[in-house]
Amino acid sequence: MRKFSCKELSALFSNLSKGCEKQYRNEESDLFHKLAEYYDQKSNEIHEATVADLSELIKKDLDLNYEKANQHAADVADRGTLRALTWGEKVTRILSSIFNRYEKQRDGLLENKKIYICEICGFVYIGDKAPEICPVCKVPNLKIVQI
Amino acid sequence: MHAVRNIRLCTKDCLCLYVCPTGATDTETGQIDAEKCLSGCRACVDACPSHAISLVPEEFPEQQEKTDQVKVELLNLTESKTKQEMIALKIAKSTDDSTLRQVAEAFAKSNRLMAEDLMRESGYMLPQSQNVHRLLEELRMENKFDDFPESVVERLIELMHSN
Repeated sequence: MRKFSCKELSALFSNLSKGCEKQYRNEESDLFHKLAEYYDQKSNEIHEATVADLSELIKKDLDLNYEKANQHAADVADRGTLRALTWGEKVTRILSSIFNRYEKQRDGLLENKKIYICEICGFVYIGDKAPEICPVCKVPNLKIVQI
Repeated sequence: MHAVRNIRLCTKDCLCLYVCPTGATDTETGQIDAEKCLSGCRACVDACPSHAISLVPEEFPEQQEKTDQVKVELLNLTESKTKQEMIALKIAKSTDDSTLRQVAEAFAKSNRLMAEDLMRESGYMLPQSQNVHRLLEELRMENKFDDFPESVVERLIELMHSN
């Protein structure tokens, strides 16, 4: 197995911080949060970033990466992984469609609208009011917050 | 197994105060005093009309073993999501266009959440797991940056009982 990058370590630790919070372990949650921040700050900043770079990665995830991952997880009946892949693929498709809308509408995309995000699965919604439950992970909308 | 209260669900019926044999639920913080709580007693859990109290295990079973191939695929996706997060953050930081900035911020956050979920599934779900313990030990040994927060890592190794 290859080594984790700093950004990957940051995501690993920010998730463990949330895990500790759910177990009511506040000290541990704070410590993991500190580690997440440390590795965030250690990750190399990108010098130039374009909208096209983002679009390319999204396309590769949807055309290739999810399919491959799903196949391997299905082969060994790894339910946890299949669950994460299902949510992730749906969210990625939504991001891709928001992206296409932005390319067409530009400033019109957010006219009289707000952006919401589900803090559980990453689902992004553009509209007046957040949906009652998240259409991807089905969490009630107290977990869907405005950006 | 000790009791914890979800404040969001608590409707202040205070039956937990009535049934608790040790007074562990009688606190000013809204939480249950773990020192006083009797392991596995669950009197308050069963009495609460709003299902706001549950028991948290001290020990968790081991996480299901992940195959190497699945781990490789999960990590491959995590790499993509973390890159997308970084690109989106950079776009948000450098653009003057407020629509693009907001969209990029949402994308960054969304990708962070997906990366977290992928890491979680690749064997790092439980803070007290062997995998987490091993990773912390490895990072401590490696310690490649001068400003590495060694005391944070050491304290975590000390606090997290590995299952």
